[in-house]
Parts: sequence; C-alpha cells; structure tokens
Amino acid sequence: MTDAGTPITSKIPDKAELSDIVRTSMPWTSRLRLPGGTISEMFAAAFLILLVLIALFVNFIPGLVSPRLPYGDFSQLPELSLNGLFGTDDIGRSILSRVLYGARASLMIVFIATCISVSVGLLLGMLAGYFRGILERMVDLYANTMSALPSILVVLAFVTATGTSVMTIILILGILDVGTYARVAKAGVISQSNRDYVLAARAMGATDARILLKEILPNLVPALTAVMPTLMAGLIITEGSLSFLGYGIPAPAPSWGGMIASSTDLLSRFPILIFGPILAIVLTVYALNTVGDYLAQRLNNRERGQ
Amino acid sequence: MLTSLIPYAKAISLRILAGIPVFILVTFGATALSSLAPGSAALLILGENATAEQVAELNRAYGYDLPVWERYLKWLGGLLQGDLGQTLFSQQPVFEVVLERAAVTFEIALLAMLLSLIGIPLAMYTASHAGKILDRFLRSVSSVLLSVPTFVIVVLLSYLFAIVLRWLPATGWASFSKDPIANLWYVTLPVICLSLHQTAYLYRVARNEFVATLQEDFVQVARAKGLPLSYILMRHVLRPSMPQILTVMGLSLTYMLAGSFVVESYFAVPGIGWTVLTAVKSHDIPLVQAILSLTVVVFVIVFMLVDIGYAIIDPRVAVS
Amino acid sequence: MTEHHQDSTILACEDMSCRIAAEPQPLKVLQDINFQVRRRTALGIVGESGAGKSMLIKAIMGIAPSSVSIQGRITLDGHDLLSMNPREWARLMGRKVGIVFQNPMTSLNPYVPIGRQIDEASRLHLGLSRDDARTRAIELLTVVGIPDPKDCYDYYPHHFSGGMKQRIMIAAALSCHPDLLIADEATTALDVTVQKEVLDLLQRIQEERQMSMILVSHNLGVVAGRTDEILVLYGGHVIEFGPTADVFRNPRHRYTEALLSAMPQMDQPAHTRLRTIPGQPPSLAKQLPGCPFAPRCPAAQGACHAFMPEMIASGSSGHRFACHFPLEEIRAQPQEEISEMDLAHGR
Repeated sequence: MTDAGTPITSKIPDKAELSDIVRTSMPWTSRLRLPGGTISEMFAAAFLILLVLIALFVNFIPGLVSPRLPYGDFSQLPELSLNGLFGTDDIGRSILSRVLYGARASLMIVFIATCISVSVGLLLGMLAGYFRGILERMVDLYANTMSALPSILVVLAFVTATGTSVMTIILILGILDVGTYARVAKAGVISQSNRDYVLAARAMGATDARILLKEILPNLVPALTAVMPTLMAGLIITEGSLSFLGYGIPAPAPSWGGMIASSTDLLSRFPILIFGPILAIVLTVYALNTVGDYLAQRLNNRERGQ
Repeated sequence: MLTSLIPYAKAISLRILAGIPVFILVTFGATALSSLAPGSAALLILGENATAEQVAELNRAYGYDLPVWERYLKWLGGLLQGDLGQTLFSQQPVFEVVLERAAVTFEIALLAMLLSLIGIPLAMYTASHAGKILDRFLRSVSSVLLSVPTFVIVVLLSYLFAIVLRWLPATGWASFSKDPIANLWYVTLPVICLSLHQTAYLYRVARNEFVATLQEDFVQVARAKGLPLSYILMRHVLRPSMPQILTVMGLSLTYMLAGSFVVESYFAVPGIGWTVLTAVKSHDIPLVQAILSLTVVVFVIVFMLVDIGYAIIDPRVAVS
Repeated sequence: MTEHHQDSTILACEDMSCRIAAEPQPLKVLQDINFQVRRRTALGIVGESGAGKSMLIKAIMGIAPSSVSIQGRITLDGHDLLSMNPREWARLMGRKVGIVFQNPMTSLNPYVPIGRQIDEASRLHLGLSRDDARTRAIELLTVVGIPDPKDCYDYYPHHFSGGMKQRIMIAAALSCHPDLLIADEATTALDVTVQKEVLDLLQRIQEERQMSMILVSHNLGVVAGRTDEILVLYGGHVIEFGPTADVFRNPRHRYTEALLSAMPQMDQPAHTRLRTIPGQPPSLAKQLPGCPFAPRCPAAQGACHAFMPEMIASGSSGHRFACHFPLEEIRAQPQEEISEMDLAHGR
C-alpha cells in the first residue's frame, strides 16, 4: 500500500487560497498514524518518553535524595529501596539519584545542541538547496569536513584554547551536526523543487520565501526526524566520553560518563557500582538508535511508495 | 602500460585538489583556535607565572599577536619547511612527536580493522541463511554492541580480562621495534576494545549487502547452473558488495581515531589520542593544531583511496 | 498415457504438483503435471503469466523457493530428481541441462567478465582446465554469433547490447554440452527483430547438436514452427498436450482455441478488434473445484464447475486434452508444420 497522498476528491471551496489549492496536489499528506512498529520499537519510544519526563521532573520525585550530598555509607551494595537501588558511590551519594539527575544534564545538553544544529542546518540547507551555486558547495564542504573529523577531537581542540564549560560543550556539539542536517535539508529541497506543487505555486506567483516555508518545509520533516535520533545518540556518546575523560560536565555535577570514570578505581572491590550509569547510557543510546532505524525505514518505504 | 595509469593519475590529482579546501578550512580553523583563548594564547600556554619576555617571545615565535590571516600564513610557511614548532612538555619538534605517536595509534587501528574482518565470513553465512536463528541473534547482538559507547566497553573488558581473569595487562606499553612480544601483549586489549564496534558495524553492512545481492537475477542464474553455494558467495556475491564494505573500512578510520582517546588514556598507550589529551591539559595549542592538520591530511588521502577503490572494483565505473 | 522407452526420454514429470504452505489450505501452484520430453525433440510450454510456467521450470531445476513442496516424480535421464539431495541434483542439472532466462540485462553479473560466466559451469562440473574451458567458451561464443570472441572473453557485460547478452547466456547454457536446453521466456525482453534472430539461433543449435529443448512462452508465435510438441498450461493444470501441428490445427480445449484466435491476423482489415478472452486468470488464493477455465469459458456447464476433467486422447498422435465439452475433432489432415506466418494468416 502506498501512502502517496489522498487524491483530489475533496471539493475546493469558492474562496480558496493559493496554499489550499496547491496543497491538494501535495504528494505527501501528513496524518499522524499510529506507529506500526514491533514491540522493541514501542518499548524504545516509551523509554525515551520516560527519560524525558524524568529529565524534566526529577526534582519532584518523592523521596529522592540530593545527588550531591551523601546519604548513607560509602560504596554500599544495591538494595531494594528507592535511593539505594543502584547502591552508593565512594562518597556515599545515592547512585540512582545521580543517574536520574545525570539524565537531566545529558538530555539538556543534547537537546539544546540539537536545536542549534537543526535550526542552523535547516536554514543553510534550504537556502543551499533552493539557490544552489556557491552556497551548495559550501554546505557540502562543511559537511564533508565535519564527517572527516571525529567529534571528540573537535571539542577537545576548542577546549584546549577556551577551557571546559557546559556552554562551550553545548555550542561546539551544536556546530558539529549542522553539516549533516544541512545536507539532509538540502537534498530534500532539491528533490522537492521539481515536484508539481512547487511549479504550480510558482506559476501562481508565490514568492520564494513562501514556497520554501509553507510548501517545501513540511516535506522535509520526515527526513529530518529520521536522522535526528541517530545523531542525538551520537551526541550522548560524545558527551559521555568527554565527561569520562574529564572534559565534559564538570564534577561534582552528576554525569553518566563522569560516574563511570570515578568508579573505575574501585572496580576491583565494588564492581557493581558502575552498573547504574552504564545501564542508563546503553539503554538511552539503544532506544535512540532503535527509534532512528524505525523512522529511517518508514522514510525509505514512503520514498519507494512514491 | 604507462598510458593505462594516466586515468589513475588524473583521478588522484583531482581528488587531492578537491581535498585542498577541506585542508584549508580545518587548518585555518585550527590556527584561529588560539584567538579563542581568554587573554592571550601565550599566557594560557605558559601559565600565570610567565614573565613578560617569555610571553613576548612565544608571541613572536607563533605569531599570536598577529591577526589570524598572517598567523595562518606563517604557520603554513613553517609547515612547508617541516617545522611546526616545539612541544611544550619535551621541547621536541612537534613533527617528530606526532609521527611517533601516530605510528602507535596506526598499529592499533590496523590490527583492530584486521580483526574486524571476521564480520565478513559471518555475514556470508547468515546472509545465505537469512531469517534463521543465528541471523536474528547476531542482528540483536550487533545492535546492542553498537549502542555501548567505547569507554564503557573499555571499562568492562578491562575489568574482565585484567582484573577478573588476569590474562592481560591493565595498562602499559612496549614499542614494537624494541620488544615485539611485549608489544603484542600490551596491544591485545586495546585492539579488542576498538574492534568490537568495528566488527559489529562491518557485519551489519556486509550482511545487508549480501542479502541484497543474493536476490539478484544473476545469482538465480548461477544457482540454476548448479554451482555450489560457496562458489556463488565468493565469486558472485562478494565483488558487488565490495564498494559498501570498502566505504565502511574507510569510515572506520574516523571511528578508530575517536576511539583512540578513550582507549589510549585508559590503557596508558602513547598514541595520538593520549597525546591530544595531555596537550589539552597543558593548553598546548601548537601540538593540537599539528594533530588536527595531520588528521585532515590522512582522512583526505584515505577517502581518496576509497573512491579510487570503487573504480577499481566496479568495472562499470570509469576511473576518472 | 502412452509409454515411451526410458532411453528415449530425457525429462519426464509424473503426477507432479507444487504446493506452498499457507493458511487455511496450501496454495496449489501446479497440479497433476504429466508430460515427457523425448531426446532431440523440442517442447513448447505455453500459458498466461501466473499459469505456473516459471514454477514448473524452477521445480525441475531444483531452484524453487524453500516454501514450495513438490510431490510426484521428476525424472531426468533416468535419475529420480526428488529423491536426490540438493547438491547431487544441482550437479546433475548443471551437466545435463542448460537454461536461458528472460532478462539478459540482469542475468549476467556485472562484476565478472563474461568469459568466466560462460566457463564456470564446465570448470566446476566437468573439471575442465582453465585453458580447455577457455577454448570451449571461445568456440561457443563463435557458435552464438559474437564477433571477436577471443577479445570478448575478457570483456564485462556492460560492453554488450541486450541481444548479444542473451546470446552470451545461450553460450553459457551450452557450456557443459547439455542434453536439454530450456529457454524460459528467453526472448520476451528483447526487441522484435532480435527476438527472431535469437529464436532462430536456438532452433539451429538444437538441431545441430541434437539436443532436446523446452521453449517456454506466453506467446504462441514463439513456439509455432519451432517445436515438435506443445503443452498448454492454465491455472496450474495441463489442459492440452500434443504435436504442435495437431494442436494448432485442431485445438480441442476451448482455452487453446481462444489463445489461437486472439492472435492478430494479417488478412483481416485494419482496425479489426482483437479477440480477447474475457475475465481474469485464476488467483492462487481462491481455488475452486472443477476446471480452472470454467469461469471464463463460453461453453461451461455444470460439470465444468464441479470436477476437473480427465485427460482424453484425441486421435492417435499423442494429442490429449482435458475438457468436458471440447471442440469438434477435425478429421485427420496431412501433417504439415505450422509456422508463425501461418498463424498470422489464420492458419
């Protein structure tokens, strides 16, 4: 079954606007359908939603102790209580609490960085795809360069000169993926520019800006959302690695990478202590990758259906 | 004979030319980094106890008081003479140090890539028995494996092999030229850690490629001719899938370098990654700049080789 | 069913059927297939798409999908294929049977030089050395009409046109000097002018090398004049079988007659409506009892929908058909070959 859009059977009202007329011939009508994925994909999506909720509302979880203050003996084994579920670290802080607050830190960084990347990338990509020429070459050059350099290296290079801080990290992570989003947006614009509805809009006198914003932009959304989760997973890994190395979220603020790093000394005696943050980071990345694969598949099927 | 090499020469020079803008972009960006330092770069490097003369001298040597463009040209000039400045911690020429360390990282990367090739025969087997248990199992395993960040792999494997089983050393390094046996001993754990991701990724790409190729008509024809499966896999399925596999191998370089930071710092291996980390700690901007530039050059060359590899493998594609 | 000596038959199917496992009932792709191909004769298999022609060929070759189960007996050169393990079956096939498929553009591996694709069968099955295999391949390339065979041996498929690729496929099929050559819609994807060349080539090769041949097509013109016997498939059943001239001159089954009259006739005035067969071929999912053609047959009656007709002989030449209410038998006439031109002129 192709979902190539509904045919033009609906009556066009008398006072039809330009956009209405053009939209009826749009090849992609978006009606949010329930995802038809497998169980693991549903779980992944549910996990991510849960994670976001935790990141937003962790302060309000009743009974959760502060992640910065010790609340019990150090290096305690996990027990069946809220705060002791993952045990305590070498200073006596609740690992579970630190993991949950760490989720907030990581997600915030990744979310803001992605916002920056997507907005800048989308803008550049749309312009590059619509007007082509030098702009297109520059976008390609930037994307190629960024894919040639490992993310960590770029961040570390900046940090050498500027020193480490959360703002710096967010900014640099934001710059990293601009190239990829721009490329996706550019490719989308180029493929849409030749479609009938764009030609129709132009024939009716729509301005470039209007075409870009109202007609082409909505069609870029599936491609962009397909690529986002995978890139976000990469950012989580990069941020985790940076924190592990000591150049990410500065201690004593909780971060998954930092927690893993600080418990490596005690590994021989209390190996169970790294369980919490490892579980958190692996589940998050796995969930993001699963959702990303699913969206990419749907995008592929849609393209093929058309 | 020589004339048949001309298209290759053309292709190589074309790609090198295309790589120049990338090189300029990155090296210029690296030079501009020093402008980001709060205060002056020289002050950052030398620390707060530096005298005014020391600062001035450093500024002159590296051009930190010059505008970015001039500084860049000065650096380029130095590059052409093979002089990229001195490292701060050992006063050795940067060039030498970088090459020495790069060799170490290169050794680990090469071994890890070789180890990851095991994914290809695995993929051949599961592709020809697609949908069966092993195929689904390996797909899940590779998925999960790719979701575990390298630093977690490092911690876990080191715990398993060095602490629990005590089969391998936790840290340490011996140079290959001085003591090959010890070198192999130390290199094993870092190589295994790096190759896990690489194997999983290569396996997935190879398996999907093989499955797609097995659906092709010419494979039906080969089966109809009664040719054995092993022959069909080696002679008819492997070659069309090579371009994708080659791409993965080329991209693995990025991964190897990224992984080297964590792996080398954890296992105390003196490679490029470890060098960058120490440079960051001491704000050694010239060293970082040199490493960035070297990285770009290596990548441009590798991507170019991958591109040309496509042309060699696919008879339909002309080299230029 | 008339018996033939085992020696003179290269391929025989007895009560063969193919089923795909499905809910609630298995899908019957082919049922009760009975036919024989004698040595040095050409058999034409005719039917619409979906009649089961491809499945029949794949079943014989041993490359049917694993979800298909085959019952009955298939004998090649005296060997019972269904009792062999897949490897033996493949080796026997590779040596005794050559096959040419429909689409020459995708049947050759673009990454492998054509010389290798021609001699791999003879090297693997017959153990020919590299040089011997190469010599044979160049010889075959000459036979099929490829110019400069020595140079072409090392070329890749993309150097050749569609017609030439199909000739290369034929050369590859002949690599082991097989006893049987199967051409499965071998000319469907080619230009009309090239079609005739390739078909003539096939016929010439068959006669010169005294091979048996099976020509599979949905196009009657292809099998006319080039085959000794013809088998008509419909809905997975054999509905008519016999010497080609007989069947064309005196079709007994209504479907065969409809096929023959559907062909455009050159003698008729321009813009004459083509006779078509109303309705659709039967779908695998809905399998009704009775004759598969009954829903579309103008002469269908109660019995036709109720149970499948038995095979009845028509005359003594081996012509047989399965129809409750067949067409009139036309009294014996001199056996002439019917060519494609004859068909176009209305016999």
